[in-house]
Amino acid sequence: MLVWLPAMAPCQEDNQAPAAEQGLEAGSEDKTADEASDWQTDIDVFFGKYLVAPMAKVLFFDFWSPRWLRTEILDEVVCSNEKCGRKIVTAEEWPEGDVPIVLVCPECQSETATGISVPLVVVWLFVGAVFFTLRMGFINVRSFLHGVRLIRGDYDDPEETGEVSHFQALASALSATIGLGNIAGVAIAVGLGGPGAVFWMVLAGVIGMSSKFAECTLSQMYRKVSPDGTVSGGPMHYLHAGLKDLRPDSAWVGSLGRILAVVFAVLCVGASFGGGCAFQVVQSLNAVREGVPVLDDYPWAYGLIMAFMVGIVIIGGIRRIAATAEKIVPLMCCVYVVTTIYILLTHFSLIGWAFGQIFEGAFTPEAGLGGILGVMVLGMKRAAFSNEAGVGSAAIAHAAAKTEEPIREGIVASLGPFIDTVVICTMTGLAIIVTDVHNLHPEMVAKNEGAALTVEAFRTVGDWFPYILYVAVVLFAYSTMISWSYYGERCWSHLFGARTSLVYKLIFLVFVVLGSIVTARNILEFSDLMILAMAFPNILGVALLSGKIRERLDDYWKRYKSGEMEPNRNR
Amino acid sequence: MHWLPRKTVVVPIDFSDDAFAALETAGELAADRTDLHIVHVLPLMEPTDPGIIWATVDDESRRENASEALHKELADRGFDGIEVVIRFGDPGHEIATYAKETKAGLVVVSSHGQTALRHLLIGSVAERVVRLAHCPVLVLKQ
Repeated sequence: MLVWLPAMAPCQEDNQAPAAEQGLEAGSEDKTADEASDWQTDIDVFFGKYLVAPMAKVLFFDFWSPRWLRTEILDEVVCSNEKCGRKIVTAEEWPEGDVPIVLVCPECQSETATGISVPLVVVWLFVGAVFFTLRMGFINVRSFLHGVRLIRGDYDDPEETGEVSHFQALASALSATIGLGNIAGVAIAVGLGGPGAVFWMVLAGVIGMSSKFAECTLSQMYRKVSPDGTVSGGPMHYLHAGLKDLRPDSAWVGSLGRILAVVFAVLCVGASFGGGCAFQVVQSLNAVREGVPVLDDYPWAYGLIMAFMVGIVIIGGIRRIAATAEKIVPLMCCVYVVTTIYILLTHFSLIGWAFGQIFEGAFTPEAGLGGILGVMVLGMKRAAFSNEAGVGSAAIAHAAAKTEEPIREGIVASLGPFIDTVVICTMTGLAIIVTDVHNLHPEMVAKNEGAALTVEAFRTVGDWFPYILYVAVVLFAYSTMISWSYYGERCWSHLFGARTSLVYKLIFLVFVVLGSIVTARNILEFSDLMILAMAFPNILGVALLSGKIRERLDDYWKRYKSGEMEPNRNR
Repeated sequence: MHWLPRKTVVVPIDFSDDAFAALETAGELAADRTDLHIVHVLPLMEPTDPGIIWATVDDESRRENASEALHKELADRGFDGIEVVIRFGDPGHEIATYAKETKAGLVVVSSHGQTALRHLLIGSVAERVVRLAHCPVLVLKQ
């Protein structure tokens, strides 16, 4: 299949394809052209032009690789100049076959780069995860079973400092990470990059476990314990306190830590508005509108309902709703996995073939090295967006765990990307591949309707089956928003003090409504920008502090292996 | 001779050394140690905090923990027998409200040195107390 990822083209904000590459859900054109009123379009254009596009240029800098990193030659390319939009048929323009990587439009003379974009942030996430995996001696593999025992509560001690058990901390973190990224993002990755994208997502998930381990261990090491017994932690704390602790006598290192903490907090607030909020609304809306046609006419009504439901929790303080929404996440995960297993069983004979497609697609795409890189970038990006490994957000939730052993919580946290990506994303990916919906519905792929693709995969089993998905999608979206509002609020308080947190919450609600108005393309791009960019300050800080983590890990592992630590059931 | 004979002196304590230094000063100003009232203000917890979600933390347990920690700290610093009150909410507002409720004659508060930017973004509790309190406020510079 053709792997055309023009997000990478320099004028990415001007063409439709970038949205595609980034897996955003759209319905966007429908919304803007057919249904949405002028004011909705104005908001969207403003959002895209003045907020998303300038940030993309900086945060997704890709060394101009679309101009020199070649992928397969395309039959047809659309001119990157939005006003021109001419279709350039390569065979006609370059009959000799010597198609250049940067095409010049014969009509408007604009340049369109057709190579592959490898954004720095993706390289950063990948290199970071590989580094932590090696530095921590493959902790993602060797601590796996110990992690399972920790979650089972075998080592829980209610007398230890903290707020919640290992399992509860993990469930809270997962309620933020498991969302529409697992349902819509994967479907789009498969639709655009082919089955091979699943391989790279899983690989990113496996090495991402080490990133998650490192950041969450640090979060525990440098968390702040208040006299009232509550704890607070996360990258905004450990980047500052950790680097200060690393070189107490160096003002320079201390300042670096302070700056990284502030940059992280700013990006986290932005990410909570994007991936933690608007993205969830637009994606779930696009899934649910299939079953609730009235939302096609009034998409903003969905935004208002969601804003009300989120508002009564974060401003109204109704705790029970938030608690129920988060507690139900592990159950919904199980329901989702069982449902996808059922879909796979109905296509039993194709499972082996699907795995074959995944491996084949990962290593032998027709598009050569550029194509492999394209699928890789797509898979890695969607994996990081989904499991947030290296991004640092989950470290805020894991700081709350009751333990005196930071390594323990790191190990528990490392299971997050496994559950999120290796299990749930793979399930979605396999369901898409065996039902072949990405090939049967090319129009959905073209419009980037990821969640709708998954709905179609569910529909192959029975007409009522998608309703399970609707419920899952709305609940995942809601719990993700609740959890991310907590991350964002913590970072906002770090920057501006708790007294102004109401301002943050109001802006958050505005973004919930915006999610139903702004096109999915702009939302995903904005969400990607914020969430992935959090990895810049976070991975840098964690890498600098990796020596301290390794020291703790070696000490812990020695005690664990010597049998010194008895599980509480043996006590 | 004391400045404020038989008037309640409210001293907010946030567990910092500066706050305990303010307590020393307040002790010198008050006519009697029993006139000193210590107030510690805890922030309200977010309904989305993991401890609240899983119902492992509540205001009562926080009050107990904070009160216990404060009494221990006071005993260690030689301030036994002083009335301690734990309140919830915005520190500046709560301190001023408490001073009003107890008809305090003075609030003694320490001012932490802050960078200009942090001061601009977050503001200062001492400043808010000065603005909101009904009675004189003595702000002790670091």
